[in-house]
Amino acid sequence: MSNQNSSSGPSGRYQKKFYFSRRKYCIFCKDKIKFIDYKNYKMLENFILETGKILPARVTGTCTLHQKQLTKAIKRARHMAFLKFIEPKRERVT
Amino acid sequence: MPNMNRNYEIGFVINPEATEEDVKKVIDSVVEIIKKANGNIENVDEWGRRRLAYPIKGHNEGIYTFITADMGGAVFFEIERRLKLNEKVMRFIINRLDDKMKKANRLTKKWKRMERLSKRNIEEEAIAVEISDEEKEEDYE
Repeated sequence: MSNQNSSSGPSGRYQKKFYFSRRKYCIFCKDKIKFIDYKNYKMLENFILETGKILPARVTGTCTLHQKQLTKAIKRARHMAFLKFIEPKRERVT
Repeated sequence: MPNMNRNYEIGFVINPEATEEDVKKVIDSVVEIIKKANGNIENVDEWGRRRLAYPIKGHNEGIYTFITADMGGAVFFEIERRLKLNEKVMRFIINRLDDKMKKANRLTKKWKRMERLSKRNIEEEAIAVEISDEEKEEDYE
């Protein structure tokens, strides 16, 4: 986020202040986890939405190497029925 | 002839209507195939009954088991064929565990690079602070 608003000039500086947020970091890199296991499905639940969608790395802040492992682990967990597949949004009945 | 055995993990879900003997039969059949081909079984992990995230063939429960073993590539297809033919096995998964070492190496390299970068940043900051301190002292004199 900080890279996007790093344009020089007064207007850029004000924008930077306005959009300031705490910097995201990779949780797996912090704990030095080398391998993400699909059997550890309770941990994987933190990285999916209620509908079952996988959250993008730009939301969670995981690095690319870990995100690749994570998506594979989630898909394996879905196959083994640890996690649910994506549920379509329910249409409103009027 | 080098030892071409690789580390695999086999997991399968068995129909909840199956008895304990049926479960044992499935596990023994897998173990036998591996042992016949000079494989080495490391661990047999029986999780038992647990709820499924979604119903499979009208069942809301399943009996989970996980086996880790060193075995050759040909055994992989034999086990796959067996589990496919078995009607009591609802889901199965076989994946390699030793290729995680490659990923781990990539990650350790990355972490080393990150550490070096952060150290350099700290050093630069420290130098900057020292310079500013020296300037202040000069001013007082």
